Amino acid sequence: MNESPEPIVRARNLSKRFGGLMAVRGLDLDLYPGRLLGVIGPNGAGKSTAINLLTGHARPTTGQVLVDGQDLTAARPWRFARAGVARTFQIVKPFRGMTVADNVAVGALFRARTDGGRRTVTAARRAALETLDRVGLGGKGDLAPAELSTADARRLELAKALALRPRVLLLDEVLAGLRRGEIDPALQLIDSLRRDGLALMMVEHVMHAVATICDEVVVLHHGEVLTTGKPAAVFSDDRVIQAYLGERFARRAAEARRATEGNVR
Amino acid sequence: MSIVDVGQGQEVAGPATPSAPVTAASLRRRTTPWVLLAAGLLFGIGLQPQLYPAQERLVSTVLMFVALATAWNLIGGFAGYASFGQVAFFGLGGYGTALMMVHLNMSFWLAMAASAVVAFLFAALVGAPLLRLKGHYFAIATLGVAEGLREVVTNLPKLTGGGGGITIPTFGPNAPTRWLGNDGFYLLFLFLAVAVVAVAIVVASSRGGYALRAIHQDEDAAAAMGINTTLAKTLAFAGSAALTGAVGSARAFQLQTIYPDRSFDVAITVLMVVMVVLGGSGTVLGPIIGAISVAFASEWLRTNYTDVHIFLLGGMIIVAVVLLPQGFTNYVRDAVRARRFSLLENVRRYRL
Repeated sequence: MNESPEPIVRARNLSKRFGGLMAVRGLDLDLYPGRLLGVIGPNGAGKSTAINLLTGHARPTTGQVLVDGQDLTAARPWRFARAGVARTFQIVKPFRGMTVADNVAVGALFRARTDGGRRTVTAARRAALETLDRVGLGGKGDLAPAELSTADARRLELAKALALRPRVLLLDEVLAGLRRGEIDPALQLIDSLRRDGLALMMVEHVMHAVATICDEVVVLHHGEVLTTGKPAAVFSDDRVIQAYLGERFARRAAEARRATEGNVR
Repeated sequence: MSIVDVGQGQEVAGPATPSAPVTAASLRRRTTPWVLLAAGLLFGIGLQPQLYPAQERLVSTVLMFVALATAWNLIGGFAGYASFGQVAFFGLGGYGTALMMVHLNMSFWLAMAASAVVAFLFAALVGAPLLRLKGHYFAIATLGVAEGLREVVTNLPKLTGGGGGITIPTFGPNAPTRWLGNDGFYLLFLFLAVAVVAVAIVVASSRGGYALRAIHQDEDAAAAMGINTTLAKTLAFAGSAALTGAVGSARAFQLQTIYPDRSFDVAITVLMVVMVVLGGSGTVLGPIIGAISVAFASEWLRTNYTDVHIFLLGGMIIVAVVLLPQGFTNYVRDAVRARRFSLLENVRRYRL
């Protein structure tokens, strides 16, 4: 295991209270470059809230978020973005009035100025077209977001995040709504981002994908970490399957276990 | 078509390819608005000697509304924050100028600049809390600001003359700046309109324009893309207010005597909104087309159907909004793009 000693994102004791509900409680999380952390759990487990806490879209009730050692706990989302933390949204949020290329150009215009270059509209549009090529939307830059298929809308969501040239990427159910044949290319893309050294976290319901691709998995239940570990260990944990995943996910978990045995070993 | 696209930053002509980012089309897209603006300026200057004084005053008013609608479009159209209190800045500019000229004997030009600054600062101050509101709440809150400001001005009679109005000395030894005359005000409003449109062109094709359009569509997503949404919204609101304040300043000097009820008349805000919505919000050309057509239609109806002109104008606005809910320029852009020009189909697409 070639684990980098320093995480880019370090979250400690994160909690979020919505009125009487503790959506997330005492979450510790480290995201390392070149590694992919999977976060699973049923609806309402606090997965999306966890992402929101790591991007400034929700303000933690307790705890701390460090990015490169810099405390961004109460910072606004744009500061996370400029610090290199990008995200996708579970419900895709394209800028409807803009073309696909312009959607992506926004990220190139507002990312941190790391290369000392000017962030001009022309340069941003050029960068946007390259990013679109990378996610498989080449040639669709002039379309309106409404004209894209579900899979392409997910690709656009990813392209917008990548346009920030992030070092950390948080993926909120990017595989949702994709057909079987569309999932593998998406996983290959995510894997290529990992090989580029991005610190990745994916919240996902597609269990076999999580089992296949993640380096480590965190299981959230009622806002708390139920267990964490290698996918093979987590998915074969009877406690996870029985007590937590429940009847509904038992079949999928078994399927995922088979996939794990086939691929990860 | 490229001027129509400026507002949305879209390219109709040909798909862009990564290998040729700076194409002739993109160059044309960037220069066309400026060429058209320069042509508009020259046309405006050339038109002046052809006009009778009454026509000259009418065109001055139309130019004033071009400037006002374009300024409103910055916050209401690009950023999507429908300010229904925009007249507050118009009145603030007018009263600021009157007060500075009357009490401080300041020249009009200096007073106009200072009024724009005052409007900018005032908008930034009230914008800080108001821009946290969205949609109807923002509209109502800004409306309240305008009404409140009118009450303040009305209830400070020693300073502002109260409801009886205030008169700027424009002739004789007491006048800090001589009245500009019909020709002078025509040129002043022409230059103001050109300047405000120039600001809109710059905004539309800049980082700021991208930021405002992104905020309009989805503020969370905009922030996730690294946009400091609070800063962008506040600058758009304050910038729009400064331009509106400068126009209000010029209007006050033109009218010489101003009253709180007319300087803070909500109808002026409504006209700005109607012009932008009809012409096409979030585009550069839309507010110009909207301002010119609504202002001329209003004037023509008043001349020819004096008794029912408001009624007819209202009817025309309703028909236009039903047929072109997205505004004229956005309709043309979409229609050209999709090659579908049917108005009925358009109504169906944007079902109310």
